[in-house]
Amino acid sequence: MSEHPTVPPVPFAPFERRLSAFLVALWRLRAPIRPMRPDANGMPPRRLRLTDGLIWVPDSLPGIHADQAAGLYRAALVHAGAHLRFSSPRFPVGTLKPVQVALVSLIEDARVEHLAMREYPGLLQVWRPFHVAEGGGTPNAPGLMARLARALIDPDYDDGDAWVSKGRSLFFDGRAEWETHEFSRRVGGLLGNDLGQMRLSFNPKTHVVEPAYRDDNLGLWESNVPASAEGETAYESLRTEREERDDGRPDDTSLGIEAEERAPVAEAPGCPAGEEEMAAPPALYSEWDYRIARERPNWVRVVERVPGVGDPAEVRNAATRHAAVADRLAALVRAAGVGRPQRLHRQLEGDRLDLDACIEVMVSRCRNEIPDPRIHAALQHRTRDLSALLLLDVSASTGDQVPDGIRPVLEVERDAAALFATALDRIGDRFAIHAFRSNGRNDVSYYRLKDFREAYDDAAMARLASLRPGLSTRLGAALRHGGRLLGRQSSHRRLLLVVTDGEPSDIDVADRRLLVEDTRQAVFSLAAQGIDAFGIGLDPGGRKYLTRMFGVRNSTVVDHVERLADLLPNLFLTLSR
Amino acid sequence: MALNAFRITEEPYYHSIANEIALFEAAYSARMPMMLKGPTGSGKTRFVEHMAWRLGRPLVTVACHEDMTASDLVGRFLLDAGGTVWHDGPLTQAVRHGGICYLDEIVEARQDTTVVIHPLTDSRRVLPLEKRGELVTAHPDFQLVISYNPGYQSVLKDLKESTKQRFAAIEFGHPSFDAETRIVCTEAEVPEEVAARLVRIAASSRNLKGHGLREGASTRMLIHAARLVARGVALATACDIALVLPITDDADLRDAVRAAIAVAAA
Repeated sequence: MSEHPTVPPVPFAPFERRLSAFLVALWRLRAPIRPMRPDANGMPPRRLRLTDGLIWVPDSLPGIHADQAAGLYRAALVHAGAHLRFSSPRFPVGTLKPVQVALVSLIEDARVEHLAMREYPGLLQVWRPFHVAEGGGTPNAPGLMARLARALIDPDYDDGDAWVSKGRSLFFDGRAEWETHEFSRRVGGLLGNDLGQMRLSFNPKTHVVEPAYRDDNLGLWESNVPASAEGETAYESLRTEREERDDGRPDDTSLGIEAEERAPVAEAPGCPAGEEEMAAPPALYSEWDYRIARERPNWVRVVERVPGVGDPAEVRNAATRHAAVADRLAALVRAAGVGRPQRLHRQLEGDRLDLDACIEVMVSRCRNEIPDPRIHAALQHRTRDLSALLLLDVSASTGDQVPDGIRPVLEVERDAAALFATALDRIGDRFAIHAFRSNGRNDVSYYRLKDFREAYDDAAMARLASLRPGLSTRLGAALRHGGRLLGRQSSHRRLLLVVTDGEPSDIDVADRRLLVEDTRQAVFSLAAQGIDAFGIGLDPGGRKYLTRMFGVRNSTVVDHVERLADLLPNLFLTLSR
Repeated sequence: MALNAFRITEEPYYHSIANEIALFEAAYSARMPMMLKGPTGSGKTRFVEHMAWRLGRPLVTVACHEDMTASDLVGRFLLDAGGTVWHDGPLTQAVRHGGICYLDEIVEARQDTTVVIHPLTDSRRVLPLEKRGELVTAHPDFQLVISYNPGYQSVLKDLKESTKQRFAAIEFGHPSFDAETRIVCTEAEVPEEVAARLVRIAASSRNLKGHGLREGASTRMLIHAARLVARGVALATACDIALVLPITDDADLRDAVRAAIAVAAA
């Protein structure tokens, strides 16, 4: 596979779905695939990379003909899958020289491929076409290594070189030890030593793993060498590779998406609510004061603000992060039988006779009674006439980490909203996703992330992704505003779901009961308008006030916040039945 | 005998996986209602046929569907020249004359339909025919068996707790490699080597269950593929038309299953 620099690159994206399904089919491997972008110098990555169970794939592999691309991506993903299946744990670099590191990696590549081929012999045809190295010319280290790689997989290949033959016999004689990954360490170390003694130069800075489907093998090695380790360390090759292909992030650990998620939210733009653009003129709402048992008119000012724009991919990936939940939801939506025709019995008119009704008519006639004329049955398409509003609490406390997780509550809320939106989008129900926070009674910010008439598209996802925690929770005012917007929808059923992580509070309210009672009143007035409000609390200790605000039947507490993504759409389907 | 048409005269082939035959026999001797759980094509129906044959009882099978009413099960009045005549439904027939009544895919039936079996499945063992004003006491040989595919259950479609708790259950899964090979071998009359290959292929499609496929290839599908092979169809083609095309319409998943079959079958 020679790489022609002039050939237009073939993007990976169209192959992603089928290849990730292929890995699941082979080994039940659900490895997240992440795009690997060009580094800071604009150099596109040339090989895949594996880190901690993630597969990083370049957006495109340059220099590959379109007709080879499908095969190459398949070979690459299956090779990565074989590593994930059979390679573990990571090798310590220890005192190994760069050339030994490269050879241990090469032997490890061959070892996992052979283990994979024991299960699936047909994989040979997937990988072998890319091994084209041949003898001839002046021997050099990269050439010999490519030939060794070929000799280890291609049974028909005959290489005259003594070192390659030695490598081949070492590898196949040790067949019985393939199960242990120490085998690669031992054989690779020996071969690396030999190559060193042949005085062939090996430049770790320019070394690229051959053939092109193999990953850069960085994921095989422990990477805890201090960044200051300079000079002739065995880690050189790893380090150089990283420099060449770093995608602009400060260090290796930031490659993992988990690391991104772990990033302290405090660093994210705090909450400059006051500086955000207003989307609509402020609206004034009354607030219930239980101490005087009446409403304070025009007490709270709700300002709709223009939400920010984030990376829609973050939201779109929610489905990948919660793959099992997403699959279950898809099944649930199907099972909900939306749009499935319903058989109506005992109708005045219809397209066929209702047998039971006809018999009753005959019986009635025998008894000289007046028969029931409703003797038809008909098929009717059930139509759902429903609008749903999901209201998210994005106050400062949603920046806290989930008790036994590594992600802030807000991200869990966002993922849940994304799965909710996907499910509703599929059902075809009209829905909106709004968020709120407050900064005193004069400044309750309200964000329309996805409105009823808008499509759930990239723009909506970008707005959802832009959410940052900040400020307080004046729930009653947000409910009244949400209720007003929802009330304009001319649907038979109107459902307002609120996700909140704590007790309502605000900076200008000292009495904890005040906002709880106000919310309770707001829920009452929503009910009077024909809007069903349902509260979902993420605070395990919040059952009491949540019940006070929404009622026992219309509230639930999620004990395990991570389950919200699963629960929210399920709850909706049950409520909207 | 009223249920002669429902008697099974020849032994239906069934390969026992564990001790399910003994368990069922024990449950039958106590006339305990049984629930057979498992994915489609895992042998639930074949098992109940085999047991009916083994116990020498007639087997009345009802395929449940969501439009089924209680009168479809217990019976209804029909008309003749002189007026109305009562006509026993399949359940009533089995109750009256002593058969095994098998309600296939019971979750598909509406919950208000399934409650008619409640009085039959506790110590009363009676079936009230409300419309006829009759209380049918179950024949001593009568037993109720239902099948249930847990994969399809959801919040919206599930058995009522009060229905579930009346049954003892036997779970059916995909058989072990050797057992499944023998089943495919016997059912489709193919060499063992072909059967073994097909079973290996099935594993890859079962891996995709829950990851795009609702169910992996069932033993039934493997038998279909093997029967095609026995009739001279090439293995790859047989797999394609019996295992890949029916299971999904998603081009990417199809491609993945085909690729997995290619590397497993080589």
